[in-house]
Amino acid sequence: MYEEPYKWVEAIDNRRQYLDDQFKQGSPVVALAYDTGILLLSVSKSTSKFYEIYDRLALGGMGHPADLEKLRVNLLEMAHVEGFNRSPSDVTGSRMVKYGIAPVIKQAFEEVFKAPFIVKLLLAELGHKAGKDSFLVVNYDGTFEEGTSCTVLAASKTVEQEMIASICGKVSAVLSLEQAFDLALRTWALGDRLQHKTVEEPSGESSSGQPEDTEATSLSAYLRDRVAEKTIECVLLDRNRSDSSKYRALPSDEIGRLLPKDLTPLIL
Amino acid sequence: MGMHGDFFQLLKEQGYQLGTPVAAIAGVEIPTATTILAFKYRDGVLVAGDRRATAGNMVMYDRTDKVLEIDRHSVMAIAGVPATAYEMVRILEHSFKYYRRTQLQELSFEGKLRAVSKLLKENVAAALSGTGAVAPIFAGYDCEQETAKIYFYDILGAEFEGVEYAVSGSGSPTIRGILHYLNTWEEQPLNALPEEPALVQALRLLTSAAEFDSATGGVNREANLYPIIKLITTGGVGAVPEATLKSLFEAKVVRHV
Repeated sequence: MYEEPYKWVEAIDNRRQYLDDQFKQGSPVVALAYDTGILLLSVSKSTSKFYEIYDRLALGGMGHPADLEKLRVNLLEMAHVEGFNRSPSDVTGSRMVKYGIAPVIKQAFEEVFKAPFIVKLLLAELGHKAGKDSFLVVNYDGTFEEGTSCTVLAASKTVEQEMIASICGKVSAVLSLEQAFDLALRTWALGDRLQHKTVEEPSGESSSGQPEDTEATSLSAYLRDRVAEKTIECVLLDRNRSDSSKYRALPSDEIGRLLPKDLTPLIL
Repeated sequence: MGMHGDFFQLLKEQGYQLGTPVAAIAGVEIPTATTILAFKYRDGVLVAGDRRATAGNMVMYDRTDKVLEIDRHSVMAIAGVPATAYEMVRILEHSFKYYRRTQLQELSFEGKLRAVSKLLKENVAAALSGTGAVAPIFAGYDCEQETAKIYFYDILGAEFEGVEYAVSGSGSPTIRGILHYLNTWEEQPLNALPEEPALVQALRLLTSAAEFDSATGGVNREANLYPIIKLITTGGVGAVPEATLKSLFEAKVVRHV
């Protein structure tokens, strides 16, 4: 059936549509650098979206939990064997993605007789100095992109671009943890709202044309509605941690203290 | 097997082998010897070790760190062949992290003890061939029982709990008797000592070991060389700064040497 090239291309196109549909209800993920490390944030109902991969590597994901789990274990095996056989400094996000999981995801995506990975991944790597951090995003087809100060995962490229545009320029090495948390949460809200608008009104315009204060108020209101029944998940790669593992999941009381004042009474 | 969080098994599946038995060649001296000790004090467990590595009569190195932090709550002090001991420490360090990261929970203290024992058993052939014997002390904070514990091992992997203290290495016979004396007849037993007196005792014990065992390195003030001492408390593992050891040594140890 797929021996003819155009049939194969058609099958890949169908697969792309199928996968795009799978992510429509997913919760976006935001990762950005702040003064002493990297912050990753998402809001979800149940399963965790963030994992420790190695001393300076954190994983975030969207998609099917079983697929995410399979790739997480792959990454963990690769990172630990490499760290043991060579050194922890040789375990870099770039190597893990380029020579590790990206080819695996691409192969699964193109083997049309087998199930693809329903997953989008984000790998954040804490640099030894501020400004040396690295962010990698891997799409469900194995394509990947690298950034140095922030990145996001969302249901579609359009939403991701809007989210990046909203934080681009605001992320800097002088952001405090509180400022980074606030920025990440509002960026998540922007992405989540855009995703829902796209589902409800496929031709709907983005809200980026609104004045900034109106936009901020409306985002706060949206956050109050959306987050009430969910859990904010936030993890850090903290350069100030004294031991070799820099990963730390923020407990709910710490998240409560970091919440913007206009959201505190309702959430948590 | 990776799903079970066993890093050593994962390594073995990739062809790794610990402690390949090779018969020791006559005339080739393998670096060994040490004095390591651990005892319970008021706030947890103190683990200390001298800095010397020897091969026969030769001092190979005088800045060895034999008290190695495996994770936030555990320490392994090594006595025996450093090449094998350091390899074991690297495996354990990766194993505990790998377990935590795959299983999303800490490995239990019992599980950590078992991991040490397994490595020593895996190494028996090398230990008996004379090229890889290691007799470590493993100490850590048991988060389930909320107490710090000490275990010591023979080169075959047998595990013993040091209820009050444990010693290992060539200088250990000297200080084992002293530890017994201190714990039995001093005004305060070791486990009642506050941090500073405990540190002073550790410095005095290692200085005594160096006095009678040429393979144990003493303090070298000219080279600013002091033992490595780590404290395990509810807050985790902490290394005692060199400046603290220097001032305690000068105030409470040097006048008695």
